[in-house]
Order: sequence, then C-alpha cells, then structure tokens
Amino acid sequence: MTFVARTWNRLTIPGRVLLGLLLLGGLLTVGLALLIIFSEPILELLGANLPLVRFVAAATAVLLMTIPTAFLIIYMEMKIIALMNLRVGPDRVGPFGSLLSVVHGLKVLMKEDFTPTGADASVFTLAPVVTYLASVMTLLVIPFAPGLFGQDMNIALLYFFAISGLGVVGLLMGGWSSFNKYSLLGGLRSAAQVISYEVPLVLSVVGLLILAGTMSLNQLVLNQAGWFTDWYIWQQPLGFLIFFIAATAEANRTPFDLTEADSEIVAGFATEYSGMRFGFFFFAEYVNVFIVSALTVTLFFGGWNAPFPFPDIGLALDPGSLGIALLILVAVVPLVGILILALPFYLLRSSMPFWQALIIGFVLFNVVAVAAVLGWAFVSLEWVAGLLWFMLKTYSFVFIFVWMRGTLPRVRIDQLMGFAWKWLLPASLLNLFVTAAAVIVVRELRG
Amino acid sequence: MDPVFRRRLEARLGSKLSGPVRQRHDTTEIRIAAADVTDVLRTLHDDPEFRFTFLADLAGVDTGTVMQVVYHLWSDVTPDWLRVIADGLSRDDPRVPSVTFLWKGAEWQEREAYDMFGIVFEGNRDLRRIYMPPDYTSFPLRKDFFLADDAARSPGAGVRHMEQVHVPRGAPPASAVRRIPG
Amino acid sequence: MTATSRRPPADDPRVTLDEELGVFEPIPPYPPRTEREAEFYSLGDGEMFINMGPQHPSTHGVLRVVMKLDGEKVVDLDPVLGYLHRGVEKLCENADYHQTISQVDPLEYVSSLFNEWAPVMAYEQLLDIEVPRRAEYIRVLSGELNRISSHALFMGWMALDLGGLTPILWSFIERDEIVEMLAALTGQRMLFNYFRIGGVNGDLNHDFMSRLGDWMTRATQQIESNLTLLNENEIFVRRMRGLGTIDSETALRMCWTGPNLRATGLPFDVRRAHPYSVYPELDFDIPTRAEGDCLARYLLRLDEIKQSLRIIDQCLDRMPDGPIMAKLPRLLRPRPGRAYAAVEGPRGQYAAYAISDGTDQPFRLRIHDPSFIHLQSVGLLVPGHLIADTIAVMASLDPIMGGVDK
Repeated sequence: MTFVARTWNRLTIPGRVLLGLLLLGGLLTVGLALLIIFSEPILELLGANLPLVRFVAAATAVLLMTIPTAFLIIYMEMKIIALMNLRVGPDRVGPFGSLLSVVHGLKVLMKEDFTPTGADASVFTLAPVVTYLASVMTLLVIPFAPGLFGQDMNIALLYFFAISGLGVVGLLMGGWSSFNKYSLLGGLRSAAQVISYEVPLVLSVVGLLILAGTMSLNQLVLNQAGWFTDWYIWQQPLGFLIFFIAATAEANRTPFDLTEADSEIVAGFATEYSGMRFGFFFFAEYVNVFIVSALTVTLFFGGWNAPFPFPDIGLALDPGSLGIALLILVAVVPLVGILILALPFYLLRSSMPFWQALIIGFVLFNVVAVAAVLGWAFVSLEWVAGLLWFMLKTYSFVFIFVWMRGTLPRVRIDQLMGFAWKWLLPASLLNLFVTAAAVIVVRELRG
Repeated sequence: MDPVFRRRLEARLGSKLSGPVRQRHDTTEIRIAAADVTDVLRTLHDDPEFRFTFLADLAGVDTGTVMQVVYHLWSDVTPDWLRVIADGLSRDDPRVPSVTFLWKGAEWQEREAYDMFGIVFEGNRDLRRIYMPPDYTSFPLRKDFFLADDAARSPGAGVRHMEQVHVPRGAPPASAVRRIPG
Repeated sequence: MTATSRRPPADDPRVTLDEELGVFEPIPPYPPRTEREAEFYSLGDGEMFINMGPQHPSTHGVLRVVMKLDGEKVVDLDPVLGYLHRGVEKLCENADYHQTISQVDPLEYVSSLFNEWAPVMAYEQLLDIEVPRRAEYIRVLSGELNRISSHALFMGWMALDLGGLTPILWSFIERDEIVEMLAALTGQRMLFNYFRIGGVNGDLNHDFMSRLGDWMTRATQQIESNLTLLNENEIFVRRMRGLGTIDSETALRMCWTGPNLRATGLPFDVRRAHPYSVYPELDFDIPTRAEGDCLARYLLRLDEIKQSLRIIDQCLDRMPDGPIMAKLPRLLRPRPGRAYAAVEGPRGQYAAYAISDGTDQPFRLRIHDPSFIHLQSVGLLVPGHLIADTIAVMASLDPIMGGVDK
C-alpha cells in the first residue's frame, strides 16, 4: 500500500491523469468484455425486472436533468433581473453570456471545500446532499409529456409533498452543524417557515382533489385535456392563489427568502458553506423553483396539454417507407439546399467570395433542417409537442418567480408567520369547504 | 451679534461666568468653570427665557496649557449660536461633569472627547474608548501627541486615571507643544 | 535568524496548525470598564450574542454591532466604531487651511460638498471674508444637487436592506446623472474638492448647465415614477410603518437633526433656524411629518428632494454675475480666534468648529457629524424588535460610516 501511495505521490499531475485514464480504459474494456460474454443472462435479468430498470433509468435521467435546468434558471435570473435593473447582465461567456452559469458551476467545483472549526463534519457534509436529493426525488413523479415521466404513482401528490418537506431537514442540518449563529438562525427560520407553509400548501390542493378524484398527476393532466377552459385554474382560482403563495415560501423565494436573507443574516444556513457543497444548496434551490413551477402547471394549468385541441394534420410521415429514395434524399438535399441558400448572398453581395457565401449557406441550411425536423417531430410525435407545451408553461412560471425577485422586498419573519396562519390557512379551509359544498350541490342537482 | 441676549446672559449667569461674554459674527461665547457645567447648562436648558434645548456640538479642546470642553447650543430666543466653554481643566487630570442627564445624545460625543483627549466626564455611564482600540494608551488629539513617525513616543503624558500610561524615554519636550493663549 | 529561516512557509500543505483556531468570543477579554459595558456583556437566561459586522453586507461600511438576542428578538445592542477611523481632525491640525478641505472631503462620502462647506464657512468667519454672491449661489446650487443625489442613494439602500434588488439601481440613475453633472462642474465624481475659502474653484460651465437643464425638465416626474416601486409596495410600507418610532422630545435629547428630526414633527432646519449663505433669500418649505417612524423618515426625504428642486430652480433664476472668489492672499494666517459654522447636510446639521492660533494651520478643527449622532440612537430604537428591523432602522437613519468614524 505504501508503495502505491509513494508512486502516486511521485507522479507529476499529467502523469496522474494519464495513469488514471489508463486504469479507467482498462476497467471499461474488461467491463465491456464481460458485458458481451454475459449479454444473454443480463438481458434476461433486465427483462424480468423491467419496472426496476425503468426506475433506475428515470432516476438517472432526472438526476442529469437537474444540472442544465439549474444552469438555465440561473442564467434566466441573472439576465432578466439585469434587464429589470436596466443593466446589461452577463454578456461575456457564450452568446449573450449564456454560458456564464456553466462557468459558475466550474468555479464552484474548483473551490476549496472548507469545513469550519467546531462544525459537526459529518452532518455538515450530509446536509447539502439531503436537500439536493429531496428536490431531485420530487422530479420523479412530474409528468413532462405523455409517456415521459419517472414513475406514475396513484399517490403522486402525497409523495410529492412528503418528499419536498424533507428538503428542510437538510437546511436545518446545515444550519445547526455549521457552528455559526447566523446559520443557526437561518436553519431555524427555514424550519419554522416551511412547516408553517406546508399546511396551507396541502390544504389548498384538497379542493382540487375533491374535483378530480385522483392523486395521480398523470390522471390530473389527462382530466384537463381539451380547451384551456378545462384547466383547473378556472374552477379553483383561490386554491391556485394560495398554492402559489405557499409554494413560493416552500421554495424559499423572494419575498419569502428569509432563510438566506443576505441583508440580515448574511446567507443564513449557507454562510459557512463553500465549494461544491454550497453548489448543491444552490442547485437544490433552483431545481426547487423548477419543480414548484412544474407542479403549478400540472395541477392548475393543464400540464402538457395544449391550450386548444390540436388539429391532426395527418402528416404522419414514416421515413422507413421511402426505401432507396431516402438515401438519395439524404445525399442530394443538403448539397442542393446549401447551394440554393448560398446563391442569393453570392449574387447580391458582389464583394463576397464564394466560399463565404457557401459557409453562410451551410449555416442557414442547418438552421432550416433543424427547424424542419423539429416541426415534423412536433406534429407527428405526441411527446415532443407535450414537452414543448409543458416547458413553455413551466418557464413562464419560472419567469414570474424571477420577476418577483426583481421587484419585491423581503417580508419580516413575524409577518411571514402571521400571514400563513391568519390568512392563508383560513382561506384554504374556506376554499375546501366551498368546493366540497359545490360538488355535493352539483351532484344532487344532476340527480 | 445679539446685544440683548448678551445682557440677559450677564444678568442671569453673572456670578458663574469666569470671563466677559464675547461676541463675534454669529456666536456668543461664555466661559465657565468646570464645576459649574451642570448648573449653567441646566439653567440654559430649562429656563423659559433661554430654552437652549438643542445641543449642536460637544468638543474637547487642548489649548496646550489647559483642557477645555466646548458646548455649542441653539435656541429659538436668539439668532446666535451660544458657545459655552468649560475652561481651565488640568491637563494632568481633566474632569468635567457629564451632560448626559440633559442630552442623552451627548454620550458618544463625550466618549469621543475622552478617547481623543482623556477628559473624564463624571456621570457618563459608558465612558469607554470609541474610536481607538480598548488597549490603546494615548490620547491622539492632545497637543503633545505627534503624528506618524513620532506617534510611538508620544503617550499623552501625565494622564493616569483609566489606562496605565507608559512614558517612554525620548518623549518630546514640552516646548515642542503648540499652544494658544487661553 | 536561523530559527526563522528554517521554519517552513505558512502555505505549505504539509504544515498543520497545532493550536486551536480562535472562535469568536464577543465578551471582551478584560473586566468591564463601565457600568454600561458590565450590563451589556452579561447574558440573561436564553440570550446569546451575535456579532454583526464589520464585514456584514448591510452595515453600510465597516460598522460592527454586537447584539444580544433572545431568539430573533434583539434585547440590547452595542455598536463598536473605529474600523474606519482615520484621524481626520489630527490630520487637519497638521495641514494648512487649504489642504484641510481635501482632508475632510471623504468623511460623508456621499455628500462631499457639505463636508467642505462647513469648514470653509468657519474659516471665512475666522478670516472675516465676504464671499461673492455668485459664489454663494453656486454653492447653494451644487449643494442642493448633492443633497438630491444623497437622498436618492438613501432610498436605494433602504430598499436593498429590506431585500429589494431593483430600487437601488433605479435610484442610481438619478444619482449618476447628478454625479456626472457635478463632475462636469468640479472635475470629480465623488470627492469634489470644489469649495475654496472665499468662493468656489471654478465657474459654471456649458457642460454642467446643459446637463442640468436636460435633467431638470424631467427630474420631478422621473423621481416620482421611480419611487412608486417602493411607495406603493405593501410589503415595504408594512415593514416600515410604526418601526423605530421616536417622539420629538426624545429626538432632541438624542441631539438629532436633519430629516430624522423633522420626521418627528419638529421643523428644525439649519437653513432656516440659523440661516447661512443665501438661503434667507430663497423660498422653500421645511417639510415635516408627525409619525417619527422609519416610513416617515423615508417619505420626508422624498419631500426634501422636491424642495431642493425648487431651490435649484430659484438659484438658476437669480444667479448673479460677478467674481466667484474673494481676493485673498495665497498664505492664510487668520488672527487667533474661534469660529463655529453649521450647514444643513442631507443627514442633518453638519458643523465645523475651528480654532486659529495665528499660524497657517488650524489649531483645532472639530467636525460634528450627524451620522455619528444618529447612529447612537440605534441602541434606543431597536431593542424589542427583530434582527431584520435592526437593519431597517439603521438604514432609515442613513448613517455614512466614513462620517461616523471620521
């Protein structure tokens, strides 16, 4: 062992990278060989445990999805708030600064991961993981599009509330273990806040559940198919308002971002965190924004349904049926397309050499081709259209969250608690009773 | 300048004044002994013919020979500022009664004067250093405190009430100190 | 020598720290020196100390406040100053009369013109100089502009301390235009160093006047429309109303001045109470509000901006021709004497007390700073409120740490 350690220490950094790559390559080769040799029993095993395989695949996909989602929302927030502040915002890295959040992510990765003296190291390390996992796990039940969801549970909504409530445990752990009074205050604030707002949050959807008669998010979305008038927002406007306000508090967003109130308690529970552990908190926060928006859309705004019944154009093109013509198309269309698109530039701009025109033609052709493929997918693949509508609606809500952050100051902790218990809770109870009464009356009238 | 006010001051405070009432530009100046500060300021504050309810400034002054505490007051009975100088505090042990019983806001100004000059305000319940660190031992605005290079050997010699002052060898001679008369 | 050279450098990763790293202990390591210190640094049941600053995002600089908390409620607090202390008064005693103007400039760095104005007025009294009327009008004009920019910044900070991100940048629009304007006039954006003993440094120029005229046509409307973002915001108003209330009598006992005092209902304004410069000739009101809470202090500054705009209008209207500097010798040696001069700064009475001993350096220059006085009252206003309110109260008093720490 000492020999290995000594050798490792003597290597230069490129040497270590090379050695690591070699080892990795060897492992992969061995694994691949094993996979090929035992392919038959493996496939059998997978086939026997299909739900499990599906679950693992979905979990991996969801886990990977959080990273671009968080990056996108962070970029949106930077850019939109900048525009509201009459600033330019990020504009250096990538087109319109769009890669800045990626750079932020890299920066966070490269920073020192620091544990303060006196902190409870194990709890301190575990806290961001708990918070992050709680928000990722809730993504599993969100139906993104027809057939595109992690798991279809009949108690999906219950599961959602149960798991999202776990996130606060992570914040509390982080706040308590940091050995910092600001962190402790932040952690306790978040505990008080999230537990208080959990009550109106859950109660505000009960009315909707009475109407829908199901807790499965998929079924809820299917119930809202048709015109946009079929969405639950029209039947539950008060429920939606309460849900949205409580969800803002759940996600710790302005004006309820007391847990990390930077002008009061510095950064709350995250004061002592640095490096990737801080990054996990950060990720979890933005993933939470996405999740809350997604759930709002799913419950009240028809999920992946289009706002109107989409006419079936009948353009169900099957590329396989074209046969040999497909090959010719693939070979000829790009050439012709590039030439046709390049021609006007070459003819109209006499100063332009032909190769520049060709480059422009090439770029334009790619744009057109991608647009065509997307359009085809949108029309003929149900899940693409569904995903598009879902994302459109969800990001509108993300925009509203960002907008609120740019506009509103923060409330005070006593006002926050008072608002939850004195206004939201009675209002959600009222909503529940009115809905229940209305359902009974309608049922009686219909006989 | 407000001669009526001057006569009124002389009539009311005549025995307490340690010098003539002086007037220049928009300021009337009286000098009193440190022991009379409580009485005189209370009279000026409470008496309905003066009504000096507003303490505009409280400053310590080291004249090079004595210490002074200077109060600037404002009232609606006269267009002048009233400058009250508590004169003749010894440089070795300057003591003066606090005015925090009239103006609570004088507390920090007295702390500042203590910090900078070593003037002890008796009755101020929070007479700590305010700008300099608590383990600092000299009084920077005194005239025997020299700047920058020679600050290290200028301890505000002679004052020993709260901090134990250490007088190093090579402290500047007393003749180097700037003075003003009175 | 050999011992030190053999010691490994501190950033060597192989070096481990033997001693335990210090954990902040707010209780001072010496016995209490005063009654108040003994009272503050003793904990009751369930109380804890928390140290806010000197590196805290919303203490407006380098203020440190030790707070005694019971849960989130502030039981008591002890502001600790001196982190920005530069000894300006001592420096001024060792500089000649002209040099002191640039020494006092960075005190209240958002309203530098007033920092210069008070000492310059005191020196003019010492020297018995009559300042030309055009210079006085220019002083009032630029001073009122500076007041508006300071108040605009205050409103932005106020919102930032309550958690709003946008208002500070919106108020920076006004401030930036004014600052650019003053830069055209004085040559600098922040520490103007513009007033001189006996006048001002330079006459009005075309750049300044065109910028000013451009801005004046839309100033009122723009400021009001910018601030509806806050004034009509329910969260903002609810947090500010009834917070940090003080009555006029207590305010006088705390030596308050300026907008903070006027928000309690007392119309005390040095420009009227003890007129200086050409203010007696100008027509403006002294806005007051009776509530004495944070919201009143905030709204009062809005009213003040409108009055300042009125004053600027009149200044432009009546600006006389003539010299901008009195005739003075290069080396100033005022005869021995004392002078006290106060101006109404954006934060209150800003005063200078100068003593001359007949040489070319002031014997003593005392700067009276309103931020210092107002900050003292935090200990009176805050106890009983929450941590968040501490920040709001402190912001509403508008202290500038450069002035507090001198």
